[in-house]
Amino acid sequence: MLCIIGVALAATFVVAVGATTTRYMTVIKEMNVLFSGQVMVVSKNAIVIQAIPITRGMLQEKLAEELEENFPEIEKAVPVLFVTPSIYFGGNIFPVPENFSIGVPVENWRMVLGPTPLKGGVGHFPTSDSSNEIVIGGSLAEQYDLTVGDILKIQGYDLEIVGVLDTKMAVLNRCMLMSLKLAQKIYNYQGSVNIIAVKPVQGYPQQNLSKTIEERVKYVSVLTEEDRNDIIQPILAQIETWNLGIQSVVFVMSLILVMTVTIMSVSERRRDFATLDAIGAPLSYVFRAVLLETVIIGVLGGAFGIIFGSLVSLVLASLYTNIPLHLIFPSVFEIVPPLYMLQIFTAIVIVCCLGGIIPAINATKIRVAETLRAEY
Amino acid sequence: MRIKTVNVTRKYRIGPSEITAVNKVNMEIGEAKFIAIIGPSGSGKSTLLNIIGLNDYPTSGKLFIDNEDAAKWPSSLRRKTRLRRMGFVFQTFNLLPTLNALENVELPMALAGKTRKEQRKKAVQLLEAVGLSERLFHRPKELSIGEMQRVAIARALANEPEIIIADEPTGELDSKTAKEIIGLLLDINRKNKTAVVVATHDEKIVEAADETYMLKDGELMLKRLK
Repeated sequence: MLCIIGVALAATFVVAVGATTTRYMTVIKEMNVLFSGQVMVVSKNAIVIQAIPITRGMLQEKLAEELEENFPEIEKAVPVLFVTPSIYFGGNIFPVPENFSIGVPVENWRMVLGPTPLKGGVGHFPTSDSSNEIVIGGSLAEQYDLTVGDILKIQGYDLEIVGVLDTKMAVLNRCMLMSLKLAQKIYNYQGSVNIIAVKPVQGYPQQNLSKTIEERVKYVSVLTEEDRNDIIQPILAQIETWNLGIQSVVFVMSLILVMTVTIMSVSERRRDFATLDAIGAPLSYVFRAVLLETVIIGVLGGAFGIIFGSLVSLVLASLYTNIPLHLIFPSVFEIVPPLYMLQIFTAIVIVCCLGGIIPAINATKIRVAETLRAEY
Repeated sequence: MRIKTVNVTRKYRIGPSEITAVNKVNMEIGEAKFIAIIGPSGSGKSTLLNIIGLNDYPTSGKLFIDNEDAAKWPSSLRRKTRLRRMGFVFQTFNLLPTLNALENVELPMALAGKTRKEQRKKAVQLLEAVGLSERLFHRPKELSIGEMQRVAIARALANEPEIIIADEPTGELDSKTAKEIIGLLLDINRKNKTAVVVATHDEKIVEAADETYMLKDGELMLKRLK
């Protein structure tokens, strides 16, 4: 029983750590999808994770027009304001914004959103720069029970919800989308933005465009898709390595635990194995009997561990995103994918099976003559 | 099954000293015989039974089973012989504590490859025969010591062995229960024509045996023929 609890705890730890980090990595990778095919012009001071400036560094909105005018390689340049809690309210930098606002000129929604539809086809995107209309992410709508037509009070402004985004992307699910002018007004960033999304003319390489802009506009960094991935890739690789390292240590500890406990258990039951030897049980039977015990430990420990680990992952996801647990619960298979559960379960069962090999061999070496001689 | 030992000797090394547990023992166990082996504690009775029961190897000498040198048999054949042709009864019963009476009796049959139905039918019959029809689903710790030894005897009979090897089967029992167990072993010997070899201190077994051997300091001497 203790062994099952030990294995279950190990599995819980592996699932919770693995699922949480994998989820974060997926969300971070997802961010780049928002500006697919575009280069991002940001202030040199900005700290950017994938396509999203997390803190510092603003640009003049009019830079977008200047870029369009002065660079024939640019098809379109769109000023965008991303307001994350860390930018506006200060505090810690979260790689995944809890919820945030995106301000985009109303005629350019598709530059940011791509083909993202509105839930149920109900409502519309904000139509005028001067309106107080916003579209919110599905997760936010669910959490705060908001729907089209509701009024949301932000920074003292009454904002009318005119649509709910229908998307699986974590970033968009937690955002409030509004016109650039409205975002600037609400958050006091008049005339400023923190990103200019630039679409190169058809066939023009992002790398070349990046070089050209950076040569002529000294105070900006221009990040191609490749650059954005290069920023985050070493961090993701390190996280993955740590994750793998932690999992390996936990698996090795589980192996040692199962092996030690089973060796002790076999030793305590010497007489039973001696009896099996006396009545002529084949060695393969004795071997399989011990191995079966460790497999059962693995199956039960793995199953309990995956259940507890998934619950812990949900709690962690809830804490990091501020989404209440009951709303996160239906997404359990998104946070801990079934394939990941299966991988961990299989790994735990294999580890327990391996842990049973030495005790099983020990059990096959127990002889009734020696055991009873030692007893009497 | 006919078993014959020729100058069988078994020595153990304990630290620097060597102990001769069984010394040049010659004996024959004929079919359907009831043989008692007596002798003081440490005289080598259990060691001799282990050798006869293929649970141990002689240091020197030969053990013949049906005129074949059993020492040359591979381990798998020795196990198979123990499983299918021999039954063992121990002083301390050696029932598996996690199995109930029925499952303990079914185990040798399962190992011998009998079907679940055959196992169950035969195990119930055997437990009824030893008077335990009401205790089929009780685990060893829920049984009295007499009942445990009956289950052990039923288990020994599970694969219809040609010989039962019993190491002090009444050693842990009170006199009344011991008498019942002796009666049971005699019944098996007489009705099934199963040879029984018993290491014992029990005079009642000695009285009932066809042949009695005395072991002293590892050496065997025929004490009495009925």
